[in-house]
Parts: sequence; structure tokens; C-alpha cells
Amino acid sequence: MATHQKQAQQFARRLFKLSLVDGRVSPELVAGVLEYVEKHRPANPAMVLKAYRRLIANELAKSRALVEHAGSLGDPVLRSIAAAMTQKYRRPIAAVARPNPALIAGLRVRVGDDLYESSVAGQLAILAASV
Amino acid sequence: MSTVLEQIEQQIAKLSNKAVKKNTGTIHAIADGVAKLDGLSDVMFNEMVQFPGGAIGIALNLEEDEVGCVILGDVSQLKEGDEVQTTGRLLSVPVGKALLGRVVDALGRPVDGKGPIDAQEFYPVEKIAPGIIVRKSVSLPLFTGIMAIDSMIPIGRGQRELIIGDRGTGKTTVVIDTIINQAKINRIGLASGDPKFRPVYSIYVAVGQKNSNIVRTIAALEAAGALEFTTVVAAPAADNPANQYIAPYAGAAMGEWFMENGMDALIVYDDLSKHAMAYRQISLVLKRPSGREAYPGDVFYLHSRLLERAARLDGKGSLTALPIVETLAGDVSAYIPTNIISITDGQIFLETDLFNQGIRPAVNVGLSVSRVGSAAQLKATKQVGGKLKGELAQFRELAAFAQFGSDLDAKTKAQLDRGSRIVELFKQPQLNPLPIELQVAVLWAMQKNYFDPIDVKKIVDAANKLKTFFTTRKEALLVKIRTKAALDAEIEAELKTACDEWKATANG
Repeated sequence: MATHQKQAQQFARRLFKLSLVDGRVSPELVAGVLEYVEKHRPANPAMVLKAYRRLIANELAKSRALVEHAGSLGDPVLRSIAAAMTQKYRRPIAAVARPNPALIAGLRVRVGDDLYESSVAGQLAILAASV
Repeated sequence: MSTVLEQIEQQIAKLSNKAVKKNTGTIHAIADGVAKLDGLSDVMFNEMVQFPGGAIGIALNLEEDEVGCVILGDVSQLKEGDEVQTTGRLLSVPVGKALLGRVVDALGRPVDGKGPIDAQEFYPVEKIAPGIIVRKSVSLPLFTGIMAIDSMIPIGRGQRELIIGDRGTGKTTVVIDTIINQAKINRIGLASGDPKFRPVYSIYVAVGQKNSNIVRTIAALEAAGALEFTTVVAAPAADNPANQYIAPYAGAAMGEWFMENGMDALIVYDDLSKHAMAYRQISLVLKRPSGREAYPGDVFYLHSRLLERAARLDGKGSLTALPIVETLAGDVSAYIPTNIISITDGQIFLETDLFNQGIRPAVNVGLSVSRVGSAAQLKATKQVGGKLKGELAQFRELAAFAQFGSDLDAKTKAQLDRGSRIVELFKQPQLNPLPIELQVAVLWAMQKNYFDPIDVKKIVDAANKLKTFFTTRKEALLVKIRTKAALDAEIEAELKTACDEWKATANG
């Protein structure tokens, strides 16, 4: 089982590298990879595709700033966040807004596995942890 | 009034604008106290990772697209998809004198029901051992209170002395006696008001032991009044392997605080065989390649980096380590025992056969050695016990030869007779460590043949009577031996008078 998993991960990693153009995920290449996998089924195809999905999802998340907000959020703010993140990470990052009333007030921006917490809920959580 | 309000509002505004950056990940798989995590691209090796519900983990495997993490704490509430965060901190435990008299878990949290610990400082659990320049050679003795050890296999402050033997041979008893003896010496020393006196604080780390055994040990320490100078770090068999893996390092951090603040400490790892097993379990679940006996390749480093932290520092204090290793069927050549034998500065080998023959502590003198301790031995002990090890080794060889039943010459018979008397003299009940001055007095009596007229079977009784005689009637002489730490003509004359007096009383 462990060996199958390792082999599937290695194969998924190879497929993932084939899906990149200039370090970014190319939808055309992803479609091509899926077609190839459909035609030439590897051992444990489900395991391979799950690992492949995980790698692609992680990579896509690096090019997207998910902005969770409580209350209204204007387009200028969203654009300024996208610009700031693009400058910070030195790659084009698109900002996507998602309302989240649980934040009470403020913002929470997620780029890949980095989280920028500037919400009241986040500060309350920090306060609760320190008490 | 409005200015004050404005100030508060400004502070609130500052807070609400301040964005905190966190590096996050998600649980991808979780089993046996080990989680595989996606994300956490900024995580450092050995960094603390915050799990939901307050559990924390340590990042041990940093791979290309996942992080392997051992979880310290309750894993029952964790599930796939839960978010985790890096903390930017290495695992740390509270240190200091506030921990004395307390029982804590592997993370330094109290488990004795005596309330919170008011620790002022925290030390990282993993720390690089002191280097060559800052070290000083071992020259101060650490008395175990066990006559066979103090006279033949002496231990010095800053030494690493392995206690090795099969199960049920009295390994834990030796270390408990040592801790009790430190407490006794501390009490006398602190009461004397001597500014040069250096107390020894003890840390007992229980790894993978039954809770009932740990409770018994704590009770023994408490009954002997030693708990107030001791910290017990408990990672019992019921704890997850991650806690058992981290406990000795946590104990070492607590000991290092004493060492770095100019004090002396003693740390007992009970035992490192179970520690290696816990690490093997973690490594197998993390899918690290396994080697001999399925232990991972770095099992030597696991113990070498731990034991190297015991040292005597120049201008500071010392940390003496007494690791315990359990052997199977007396096999000292197994993987873990040989590893630890090669790391330590000597070993005390306890033998099942001797234990069953009633020779307790069951120290095998032939296989036991102390590589640096003799430099720290008191002159008085050297004077009375210098030849004992050789005599006992000769006795064991001759005793084996004599079993064939052939006629023996007078010299051999005399050697056998003397050897059997020494063996009897070294028998000592548990939880009853002897002060070094009393050991010197008894061994002097043995050296001067005061036990020769006594029947071998009555040696233990006679020695006990001699000890009582010295403690009740010759206390001044004992104090003199303790303070001078060497036998001069005056002390020897007094010892002779005392022993003659005892002989007359005993025969009378």
C-alpha cells in the first residue's frame, strides 16, 4: 500500500511538472494531461489523480488572493490588495472576494498557504489563546 | 477626558489595522499520533505547529509537498481538512527552581494536582550540546550512597554513567537511592551554611513506564524527603509516542537551566530502551527508512545528542546523566545497549543471577566500569577501596574455578574467604543510601581485617551493627572524615580505637 502510494505520488508529481508553463499552471496542458491519463491508465489512477489534483490546487492557490470580508468591500480595495500581493510575491495574483460574516469586521486574505489576518474574529482568537 | 478616549481609540485603530501573517496548512492524513500536512511552506524543522483545539505538533519530516508532524496531546478531535498554523517557535518547556517538588508531563505542564507552576523562564527542548571550549573535566564526586558503586565505580559531576541490566534487577532502585542520597547531602550541606557547598538537584524522567511504577517512585521520593529537590517528568506508557520521544529532551532542558546558572543537577532517563522504541514507532509511521531491528538510521544520534548535553561547564555548573537501559536475557551486545555504552562514560551492569543469589545491589563488578569517575573520587575512598575491584574480580574467577571441587591451597582459600566477605559487606537494602564517611569507616574496618573473625553469614548483621555504632557513638569522627575527605594518621588512629571498641562491645 505504501509503495503504491509513493509511486502514485511520484507519477502525479511528474504530471504536475508537465502541466506548467513558465512556472504557472496551463489549462491546456492540464486538459492534455487528463486526456493522456484517460487513454493510458496508470496503476491506481484514482490515487494518481487525487495527488495530481492536490498539487494543481496548491499551485492555483498561489496565484489567487482569497479575500474574506465582513461587511462591504469595494472594487478599489480588492484591486489594491491584488496589486500589493502581486508586488509582494512577484507573480500575477488575482483577488477574489468572499463574504464571511463570522469575521465580525475586517479582512482575511489567503494567498497559497500564507494567511494575512486583519479581522476582529482573528484578534479575538489571539486574545483567547493568550489568556 | 476626551484625550484619554482618543488615545484608547487610536490604540484600537492601530490594532484593527495591523495584519498578522500566518503560514497555514491542512491535515491531509492523520494516524497513530502523526499527521501529514499540506501547505506549511515556511515551516522549520522541529518547529511547533498549532492544531485546532489547542493540540500542538512538531514538524519532523519536511518533504517536497507535505510535512510529517508528530502531535503532542489529544488527537481524537482532529480530522482531515483541519487547518494548522506555524508558530515560529521551537518547542520549549518551563525551567527553574519552581519545578522542584513537582511532577510534570513532557511539555512541562503539571500533572500532580498541585496547581500551576510559576516558571519565569522557558528553554527549548532541543539544544546543541556544550562545545569543547566551555567544558571542564570531571573532578567533583557525585555520591550514590551505594557502597559498591561509590567505592569501585565512582561517578563524578558531569559524567554520563549508564545503568544497564535485565528487567527486575534493581536499575530504578539504584537511581532512586542516588536521588535520595543527593537530598540527604543537600539537607546536611545547606544546614551547615558552608558557602562552598554545591547542592545537587535531581530530575527523574520516566519514559514508557507503567503509571503504577511512577506513582511508587514518587511515593518513595516523597517518603524519603527527596521530592523537594527533584522534578519528575512523566511520559508513561499510556502517553502517545511523541510525548515519550520528547520527554528526555524536556528533562535535559530543565537540567541545563541548573547547569547554566552555576548549579549542579542530576538527570535520570528511565529508560532509553523504551525511548528508542517510541522513536522507532514514530519513524515507522512517518515512513522513514528502517535499519537494524527496524530502528531508523538516526537512532544513535537520537541518544548521542541527548547524552552529550550532560557536561561540567567551566565557571558554571554541571549536569550528570544516569541513563537506564533494559537488556533482554543479559544481552549487552544488542543494538541500543551497545550504542549507549559507546556514548556514555561507563556503565553499571546489574545481573539477574546475582540478584537471585540475594546480592543486592546486583552489580557485576567485572562488566561495570567508570571511565572518568575515579578522578572525582575522594582520597579517603581511594585509600580504603582502591584494591577492592581487583580483589572482587579475582574472587569471582577463583570462585568459578573452585566449583570443580579440587583441593585448594591456603592462599586461594584465604582469597575466597575475603572475597565472600566483601560481597556480603556490599549488600545494602534499597532506599537506604549510606553517607560516604560511613562507607569509608566500614571499608576501613574491612581493610584492617576486623570482619575476619566473623562468620560469613553474619557479616551483614555485623556491618549493620558497626554502622549503627559509628552513627550513634562516633559522629564526631564521621564529621572529621567528611570534612577532611582523606585518612591521615590521626583519623586512622581514631578509627582503630573506634573499631576496637566496637569489637569489644560486639564480642562482649
